[in-house]
Amino acid sequence: MEKHSKAYFNNLAHQLRFDLTDKEAQDIVDEFSILIDQMNLLNTIDTTGVEPMVYPFEEATSFMREDIVDHVLSAQEALKNAPSSKNGFFITKKVVL
Amino acid sequence: MSFTSVKNNPVEKRVLEALDKAHLVQPILNAMVSFIDPLSQLEDLKSKDKNLPFYGIPVALKDLVNMKDTITTGSSKILDNYVSPYDATIVRKLKEAGAIIIGKASCDTFGMGGTNKTAATGPVHNPYDLSRMSGGSSGGSAVLVASGVVPMAIGTDTGDSIRKPAAFCGIVGVKPTYGRISRYGIIPYASSLDHVGFFTSNVSDAAVSLEVLAGRDDLDMTSSFKPVEKYSSLLKGDLKGKRFGIITNVTNAIQNKNTTTQFNNLCEKLKAQGAIVSEITLNEDLMKAMLPTYYVIANAEATANHSNLDSLRFGVQLEGKDNEEVMIASRTAGFGPLLRKRFVIGSYALFTENQDLIFRKAQKVRRLIVEDVKKALSEVDCLIAPASGNGAPLIEDTQIDQLSSEYLVAENFMALGNFSGYPSMTLPFGFDGVLPLGVNLTCKPFEERLMLDLAKGIEDLTQLNDLICEVKP
Amino acid sequence: MNYETVIGIEIHCELKTKSKMFSGAPVSYGAQPNTCVNEIDLGHPGTLPSLNKEAVRKALQACMALNLKIDPLIRFDRKNYYYADLPKGFQITQQFHPIGSSGYIDIDTAEGPLRVRINRLHMEEDTAKQYHVEEESWIDFNRAGTPLVEIVSEADMRSASQAMAYVDKLRNILMYLDVTDGKMEEGSLRCDINISLRPEGTEAFGTKTEIKNINSISNIEKAVSSEIIRQKALLEAGKEVQQATRRYDDVAKDTVMMRLKEGSVDYKYFPEPNIPPIQLSQVWIDEIRNSLPELPEARALRYKTLGLNEYDIKQLVQNKALSDFFDALIPSIKNVKLAANWCCGDILSALSQKQLEEKNYQLKLSELREMINALHDQAISSKQAKDIFPHLLKGENYASIVDELKIVMVSEHSSLLKLVEETLDENPQSILDYHGGKDRALGFLVGQLMKKSKGQANPAISNQLLKTELDKRKP
Repeated sequence: MEKHSKAYFNNLAHQLRFDLTDKEAQDIVDEFSILIDQMNLLNTIDTTGVEPMVYPFEEATSFMREDIVDHVLSAQEALKNAPSSKNGFFITKKVVL
Repeated sequence: MSFTSVKNNPVEKRVLEALDKAHLVQPILNAMVSFIDPLSQLEDLKSKDKNLPFYGIPVALKDLVNMKDTITTGSSKILDNYVSPYDATIVRKLKEAGAIIIGKASCDTFGMGGTNKTAATGPVHNPYDLSRMSGGSSGGSAVLVASGVVPMAIGTDTGDSIRKPAAFCGIVGVKPTYGRISRYGIIPYASSLDHVGFFTSNVSDAAVSLEVLAGRDDLDMTSSFKPVEKYSSLLKGDLKGKRFGIITNVTNAIQNKNTTTQFNNLCEKLKAQGAIVSEITLNEDLMKAMLPTYYVIANAEATANHSNLDSLRFGVQLEGKDNEEVMIASRTAGFGPLLRKRFVIGSYALFTENQDLIFRKAQKVRRLIVEDVKKALSEVDCLIAPASGNGAPLIEDTQIDQLSSEYLVAENFMALGNFSGYPSMTLPFGFDGVLPLGVNLTCKPFEERLMLDLAKGIEDLTQLNDLICEVKP
Repeated sequence: MNYETVIGIEIHCELKTKSKMFSGAPVSYGAQPNTCVNEIDLGHPGTLPSLNKEAVRKALQACMALNLKIDPLIRFDRKNYYYADLPKGFQITQQFHPIGSSGYIDIDTAEGPLRVRINRLHMEEDTAKQYHVEEESWIDFNRAGTPLVEIVSEADMRSASQAMAYVDKLRNILMYLDVTDGKMEEGSLRCDINISLRPEGTEAFGTKTEIKNINSISNIEKAVSSEIIRQKALLEAGKEVQQATRRYDDVAKDTVMMRLKEGSVDYKYFPEPNIPPIQLSQVWIDEIRNSLPELPEARALRYKTLGLNEYDIKQLVQNKALSDFFDALIPSIKNVKLAANWCCGDILSALSQKQLEEKNYQLKLSELREMINALHDQAISSKQAKDIFPHLLKGENYASIVDELKIVMVSEHSSLLKLVEETLDENPQSILDYHGGKDRALGFLVGQLMKKSKGQANPAISNQLLKTELDKRKP
């Protein structure tokens, strides 16, 4: 599959569990060139020896939660938003293994 | 509308007035997504201390904030029917401080946008010119404060989502230091960039609000242990000897002469008050790389953050022949085209084969940007620049040049505060025609007290506090 | 052609904590569905993880017992994939910086001792449990968010028995640490076994299959053996082994295909932004190391110094609950060997494993101890002990049982002598047989004497007396 083609992005979307319309896929293909241009701005920057920054503040912390049960929902509350439930379980159409 | 003016009314009256007004302006501004019946909160208030900072003050939440037994849609379609089973930490704090929450304000879906045009309930209108946008993503919250519905509204800020709409709507918008206010219970956009903050109509009210909302929360491991200062009682507005650094990259990129002139006037006034105003130039290449850096990091984190929206435990579910089909149908219908595009791009950046070149590259550039900002702030107390080159754009805006420096730098530089986690806020400093203009301040980490004090000094100079733009049906 | 089997094992082990890995909801097995969850476990929008200190402590204990190098800077990552049992659409795990790396355990196998290297141990969270009912899947999120450690071995095992010995030893160690209940049948310890075959003497690995869902230690050997046979048959027939996930079917006694592995999935791992790096203090780590529970090898050594034989040592050490029972019993016991015999014999058959593990029995250790000491002192006979034991099991006291059963032991010399003389008088032929070299005659005489005393004669003294008197009556 050609990289950055409509089929490529359709497949990528499918992995993310949604579909793209034909127009959307085409839009992404088109906008990807702008994105690539913007990425090129990134690539003009020399990051030799620079570590990725994952958190705004990187000082290590030491806090960990004590092992205490302090919050549990009732089954009714847990299932309240469920589109489908039965006998206390969330129900979905069969999961293909 | 200030806290003080609100307090002139008896509690019940002011809350009901706020709700009435919210309903009244809704057809015009479209700022609200859902309303909350305040009766039980008013009942709870009766046993509370009348001296509480938010005693009986009506507030609005951005539609990303969970409050038990209320609808929280994230201004999305997929969570259209979602009833929160729990309170966000800030909701608990607001209630403890006596606030009465009257509803959820519109935003770009999951905070992912800067226009508020992507909200499932449609665009939010700027009260100063209804054909113009509120800005986003916290557009509804900004407009509710600007139009005098509530004196305070909660927002979130991942790139500039509080500070930009605050500028467009002529009010104060505060994004404190990362970790200052707990994120627990707020629907995320990008966890390492997301900040919780708020809108008020003046700096003193902002100081009171921060005092209530800030503080350590064990439910948010990134929340800070640093003690919360008495921001409100420490507010003096003394500018003497305070060092401001103008970000020249931003001022140079601004094309609108009116903005430039008014900003220069402000700087002269600061000097007249004894402030030391200098020019600071950040690395231009880094400034231009900021938007793509932001785009990569934010969308990569967002695609993972929203993987929980599979319609199995909550959310709007569509039909399908098996579980996977159900998930695909629900997510396709539940996310708008813009979100789907962003998720695709975010996911692309995360592929193992692309991570070094894109995602980790962006994280490295982020570090360089932050180091540059840190260096700049080592010489001054505060970085200052107009929050935007212009007043609020038209809702039906034409295509902009996404590679121009005006766009890349002047319209997106405030993400500096998100990359670094440094405290940053905007407040009004003038008008371009009828449209308010905002000025942005960014300070060193956890120097909110200083930042609010500087803002107070500016507010005293401009006298642009408590601006209300009444809209009449 | 001869083939060499190559086996590597991944073990997922649920940690025994009160609350979840990242939430304050309870960890519980067998509760009503969806009653041990909160918004965090269900992946509700806006929730954030908050790390459980006890889970980290237990992971550290496991690292120490498995000789792993500990990374004191705790970091987590996201593993992204969509599945109905994964509420957030990603699992929080430690891909890039596992808490433990490069360790080993030594196992005993039929082929001799073997050191199995352990590549890594990392912390993560468990998924929900699904039940597939016709056209539906029923999901219970109680298990979602339960703390897990995943322990990944190097491909160091070469036979089914080695694979079994490795899991058995590892499980035993983890149970000694009390970090897990180790119940394979309930899924609290699960192993994925990677098996491939290669022509003997070659280096390159063959295509591997992964066997999942093995619910007991003994099934490991069965599953691996049958998979080796299956792969070997394929290779010998010139066919290829398909890279796949298989499961062991207890009824068919064979592995069954679950799914083919088509290429590798890109999990798009990246650092978890909601959990900042956590620096563990050296003081805390040392404290945990210094108070590490006794491990099986140390316990075996201790038993050896107590004078127990290899068989008893093995019997006890491999069953932690029984061994704990033994350890509780032996303070102020006069004969440890005798205590060990009782533990490995009568106790093991009288009490279920569950009873032992949950210490759920009426038997009082102090009373059992008194009986074993009495037995050692020859104050009672073995036969009498067997009569007393069922009463002890009901929680009765030793003294009152002895009283009630009117158990006495005649040890007084004159009374015994009288009994001995009577017995000899009544059995002249046995005297002749004894002196004629028939050993059985002595046994017979002892039996007669016991009968006469209604089982109350002290057997050791009686035996001695009989011999002395027999010598006196040498024809």
